[in-house]
Formats: sequence, structure tokens, C-alpha cells
Amino acid sequence: MTGPPKTRRDNVAVDDSLCRRCQTNAPTITVRTEPLCSPCFNKYVSTKIIKRMESFRVRHAEAGHERVLLLPLSLRVCSIVLLHILSQHLRTQGEKSGRTGYRLHVLYVEDGKGEASVASELFELAKQRYPEHTYSTRPLSDALALPGMQEVLRPHQATTQASTTTTSSSSDLSTILAKLTSATSRTDLHQLLLRKLVVHCAQSHTCEAILWADSTTRLAERTLAETAKGRAFTLPSLTTDGEAPLGVLLYYPMRDLLRKEILSYTSLVSPDLEGLILEEKPRPAVSTRDTSIDELMKQYFSSVEREYPSIVANVVRTTGKLLVERVGEGVEGRCELCDVVLRGHAPERSRLCFGCIRILQGLEAGG
Amino acid sequence: MPPHPCETCHTSRAQILRPSTGTRLCAPCFTLAFETETAATITSSQLFHPGERIAIGASGGKDSTVLASVLQTLNARYAWGLELVLLSIDEGIAGYRDHSLEAVKRNAEVLGLPLKILGYEELYGWSMDEVVAQVVRKGNCTYCGVFRRQALDRGAAALGVRHVVTGHNADDVAETVVMNLLRGDLARLGRGTSLVTGTGGLEGGFASVKRSKPLMWAYEKEIVMYAHHMRLDYFSTECIYSPEAFRGSARTLIKNLERIRPESILDVVRSGIDMARLVPGAGGEGGSRSRRVEAMSRDVEDDTGGGCSGGNGEDAGGEMARVEETLRLNERADEEGTETEIRLPAKATNGQRHDRDVVHTGPAGKVLSPTVNGQNHDRHRHTSNNATVPHRTKQEKKPNCKAASDAAPPRQRLGQCERCGYLSSQAVCKACMLLEGLNKARPRTGIEVGGAGG
Repeated sequence: MTGPPKTRRDNVAVDDSLCRRCQTNAPTITVRTEPLCSPCFNKYVSTKIIKRMESFRVRHAEAGHERVLLLPLSLRVCSIVLLHILSQHLRTQGEKSGRTGYRLHVLYVEDGKGEASVASELFELAKQRYPEHTYSTRPLSDALALPGMQEVLRPHQATTQASTTTTSSSSDLSTILAKLTSATSRTDLHQLLLRKLVVHCAQSHTCEAILWADSTTRLAERTLAETAKGRAFTLPSLTTDGEAPLGVLLYYPMRDLLRKEILSYTSLVSPDLEGLILEEKPRPAVSTRDTSIDELMKQYFSSVEREYPSIVANVVRTTGKLLVERVGEGVEGRCELCDVVLRGHAPERSRLCFGCIRILQGLEAGG
Repeated sequence: MPPHPCETCHTSRAQILRPSTGTRLCAPCFTLAFETETAATITSSQLFHPGERIAIGASGGKDSTVLASVLQTLNARYAWGLELVLLSIDEGIAGYRDHSLEAVKRNAEVLGLPLKILGYEELYGWSMDEVVAQVVRKGNCTYCGVFRRQALDRGAAALGVRHVVTGHNADDVAETVVMNLLRGDLARLGRGTSLVTGTGGLEGGFASVKRSKPLMWAYEKEIVMYAHHMRLDYFSTECIYSPEAFRGSARTLIKNLERIRPESILDVVRSGIDMARLVPGAGGEGGSRSRRVEAMSRDVEDDTGGGCSGGNGEDAGGEMARVEETLRLNERADEEGTETEIRLPAKATNGQRHDRDVVHTGPAGKVLSPTVNGQNHDRHRHTSNNATVPHRTKQEKKPNCKAASDAAPPRQRLGQCERCGYLSSQAVCKACMLLEGLNKARPRTGIEVGGAGG
């Protein structure tokens, strides 16, 4: 054989006992019904991600003025793998052309879920393993200090207090979250605050774009979860590469990889990445009344992903075909909590969109 | 439930906790609220005009029974002057349809409304029992859906009615939204949440009958409650043939969602409506005069649901597995670059000339002279017509093109079926095509006029 057949036009008989791509090594993993060996799988994963980084190639960058991209590191599987592969990519760029197309700023948001000490250890490990990037940490409660947040979340107190960035802001956060009676609202608010804070950090570090580590599976979950919360209209702008609905460009380089594929990758790298990953808490197998909508979708798609992975990918592709709503800059009012454009998606003269009204209904009821 | 005064009248004891609002009401206040809300849906979108003749698609199940009852009530209460007629379709499924048809007949008597029953057997020469015996559960739901859509339209035409109402509720619409997302069906995503589809005009013969769903915002649970408190007579059962695998999956998801947050059903519907606006090439919902596209009949899903899922669970994975297979092959072909796109100039090349006399036209007798673009019976793909067979490998099964597949779903152009005159974008409408397949395979045991059937 003169080399791996590039296309099937060669009509070479395929040996199923060997890796489908290189037809040389024994396969170690089956990816969407294709048996692949470890090196080919490695390449599969990296290629899918690097393909999405087209706009950040070296030739598009000026020496000394590389763009800074923000990588929010949740320390879960997907973000760690993204960090690893992008670090590799930058190294390759450096070797090939002596400079890089971009720089990474890695951000960890400490979200007060009680994993702080484990997380900070892992964060240190990551720093040691990939020292070439800049790193920073912020507590999620900082999101409460962002303009407008106090008024929205604690309208009764905002008028009486002056500045609010005191040491009590983290207890503020837990208080607010505890007041929400529904798990869905808690998760929702948590996600919104996280995103707001990340965007704010990106802007303050003059990052050109945010590279979210969401996998195909995660994006599919998000599609259905936001649909179920009445916020489907935000999906195109919040899940398409290259859009800036919140003022900063958003990219999802891992959008073509399923979570299970990313998981498999972690054990094929050496030294393996498993030591860097923050473990997920075990999830209940059956949904109960106290499950959040996001959790429900996670359960749903983890089973669909097992048997029908292409359907998962198709959901994301379909959403990608929806048009992004074009709105004039600055003219339209925006939701005070989630920043989407209000027109058509909020009651008359409201400062919040329908989705966020639901969250805050919980707040008022409890408080 | 601890004793609590009704939150509306504050006098009677509350018997009902409304799923949609969480309010506690006595039965009369609940039924009044339900009726008033339905009236609001109808009047705010100007669904009916005074004196209009409306056919109610009556299956004998809870949704259509409640619909008929409510419409009757509102018609009297607000003096809309509507002429209501019950229209029922007999698919010919022994043990399923017979009982619900009896329920429809009883309802017709109780409400004092005229009833027309139309059977697949008489329309097509095939009952569903016979179809299933022939195709053995492979896509039988498709047959039923396509046949039913035509049957309702034809029945309406026979009654001289331009507007059919169906009992689709919020749960149905929500399931459809989820289902279309799972399938990646953008075209249906754009249409499924419309309150009204079709124009009710005459341009397509009997196939442009207007369809609407006045109960679109009503929770399935509340429909059950309404039927219970009004002591309505209905017969609900699941169709005994294979469940719609995608819809079954979507239904479970919706049920779980409802448990977590009851309002999420309406949120899904609202999301569906929002997404419909964002479908490229769609632009707006049906109901206006110019939306002829809405009257299209394709692989109709719109008439399944409500009795079409659950059941034996056989072949449940079948449909999803098939879609998975197709998608995977597409992905593989994309990656390996084994397909090329072949574009031909946009003239119809399959010989679809519709200015010749069409023998079978609908009651309107009008012949359309539309332009019919390149045809493709593959419901997911479209534009290119392959006049030559491209060099293909064994992996490609359908004429799919990556570039084309990223484009917007095409505008569907209307023509008429050569055989039956039904509105269709193909030369031969889907029903006729399916029938052709069935008839070809039918064992030659001689023609029975009496008909087999259950």
C-alpha cells in the first residue's frame, strides 16, 4: 500500500480489523462506528478543534500584537482537553513559523459550590503543565458587583445601600441562590452570572474572543434546555461561531466533538489528563421534581449520545441553520439580567425577558 | 387538598388546582376560565368569520370531543353564527377506531351536530389493517398520516367546508417542536407552531382547506379535567400499531419537563414560534392569503400525534436508528469529499408541465399554472437535479450535496397531482405514490368489491 487512501474513490477493500483511517494499526476505539487506532483518534480530535480556529492562524496575526483569547476553564473534561489541544497548537505554530497566531488567557471562575480547595489545586497543576499562558481567577460573586446586578436581584435593598463590593458579596450570592425554590432557576441564574462575569473579564483583559469548551452534546443540551425555558430565540446568536451578541466574539471550537469522544481522549494522551480534571458529582439516574431542566436535558442526551450520536450532532447543526436576529446597536433595550434584546421577547415595558422573569419570580416568592 | 375557597368566585370550595396557572378553582369557574381562554385564542387571531362553516376533525378522543363541546358552547354564548359539522375518519383499524367512532356518533347526537364519517377503505381501497398487513409496520404511521390529511381535506370538500379545526393541544405542539429539533426538520419547525395553516381559498382545490388548532394553548391535563367536569363522553386509546419513535421520545421529555416546571410546555411552544421566525426562507406564519406554501402536503406529520404513540413499543428504535444511519452516512460522505454538487438551470426537467388538462381536479376545477422547480422525493434534500449519474461510491445512498445541504430549505412550489388532483409539489402526490406501491405489491386474489378490512 502506498499510503492511506484519501477517499473511497480508490475503492480499496476496507479491512475492518485495522484502523479505518490508516489501515495499519490495530484499532483501540470506535468512533461513530469507525474503528480507529490511538494516533488516528488523536488526530481526529485535534483536527476537529483546530479546524475551528481558522481565523486565528499565524498568517492572520501581527508579530508582537497577537490577539488574546479568553479560555474559561471549568476544570471539567472539555475545558481541560481544549486547553491541552490549544497549547499543542500554539507550540506547533511556534515551531513552524517562530510566532503564534494568538495568545491564551485562561480564566477560572470559582463558583462557590464547595469544591474550591480541590479546584484551586487542579488549577495550579494546569498552570504548571501549561506555563506559557496567562492565568487568572475570579469568584462568581464578583458578578453581583457588575453594573445593574444589585438593582435587578435585590431591588428592595439597592436604593438604601451605596457601594456593595464588600466581603459579604459571596454570602449574597448564596443567599440569593438559596431563595430560589426551583432547581431550574438556580442553575439558570448561576449560568447567567457566570457568562456575564466571563464576558466582563474578556473585556477587561482586552480579549478579542471567548473560546467556550462546549461539546456537541453540551450544545444540544443547551438547545433543548433554552427551548424549554422559552429562550430559543437566543440560541442562534449564543451558539454560532463568530457572533458577538454580548459585545465579545464567541467561539465553540469543540462543537464537532461528542462528550464521550472527548472523554476517551483524556486517557489516550500521555501523560494523561485525568489528573487535571475536576470530577463531576454523581447524578441521579431518574429525574425528580427537584431536577433542573438543564439536568434533565443532560440525562436525556447522555442516553441519546450512546445510541444515536449523529442525531445529537444534527440538533446542533439544525440550530446553526437558524438565522441570527439582527438588531440595531444600542437602540433596543436589553434584558438587565441576560442581556438579550427585549423586543418581542418580554412583556410591555419590562426590563427583563420572559426567561429571566421566571427566575426572579422564584426570588420574590421566597424572599 | 385542604379546604380552600375558589380564587375566582371566593364562594364555592375549590376542587381544582389548575396546572397552567397554579390557581385553585371550583369546577364551574374552571370550565368558564377554560372556555373564555379558548374564546380569546379564537378572537384575538380572528380565526373564524361570522356564519362560517367549520368542520371539526372528530376522532372520538378527548381533544376533539372537548373541542366540539367548547365550540358549540362558545358559538351559542357569543352568537358567532358558525355552522359546525363533525367530520370523522375511519382508518379501518379493528378494535381501535370502532369504539371511538361510536363515541363520535354519541357526541353528534348529544351536541345535535351533523356527522360525516369517511373511511380509508372507500377513499383509497385500503384500510390501515390491510396496509399494515402489507408493509408489516415499516412506516405504517407515515401511510396513516398522509392518508388522514387527504381524507380530512376531501371530507371537508365533500361537506362544502373550507375550514377544518383539530383538537391539537399545547402538549402536542410542544412535542412536535422537540421532535422536529431532534430530527433537524427545519421546514416543519417553521410550520408546526402555526395556529392556522392553509388559506381556505380555492386555488388548490380541496387541498387548500384552512386548518387551525383553537386548543393550541390548552394543557392536555386541563382538557382532561374539562372533559371530566363536563361529563363528556370520549374514548381514548393508543393506536395499536407502532409508535412514532421520535414523538414517543419527545413525549417522554415533555412529560418530564412538565413535572419540573408546568409552564415549560407553553415555553416550548413559544420557543417554537420564535424559532419558526428564524428559519431561513420561512418568514411569517400561515393564514394570510399569500401563504400558499402552507397548504403543502408532504410526509405529513401533522396528522399523527394524539393516539399515535405509546402502544406496543415495537420498532420503537426503528425510526431513530434509520435517521441515525442516514445522518452518519451523510457525515462520512461530507468528510471524505465523495460527493459533488451538480446544479442544473432552474427549469423543471422532470417533465412537469401543468398547463395540460388535468383530468382529476378538485371541486374548484381550477388548474394551476405554477412553475415547478426541480423535484426530489427525498424530503430532506432538494435543489439539484441529477441528469447524469455522478461517479458514486457504494457509501452514498442519496443525492445529497454538502453545499446544498447547508442552504435554506427550498420554497415549495405547488402543482397538482396527476392522478387525483390533490395539491402537491410533485407530479404525483404522496398518497398516490404510496398507493401505487401498495397496489403493486397486493397479492392477486381478484378484486373484491365488498372489501376485506376489520
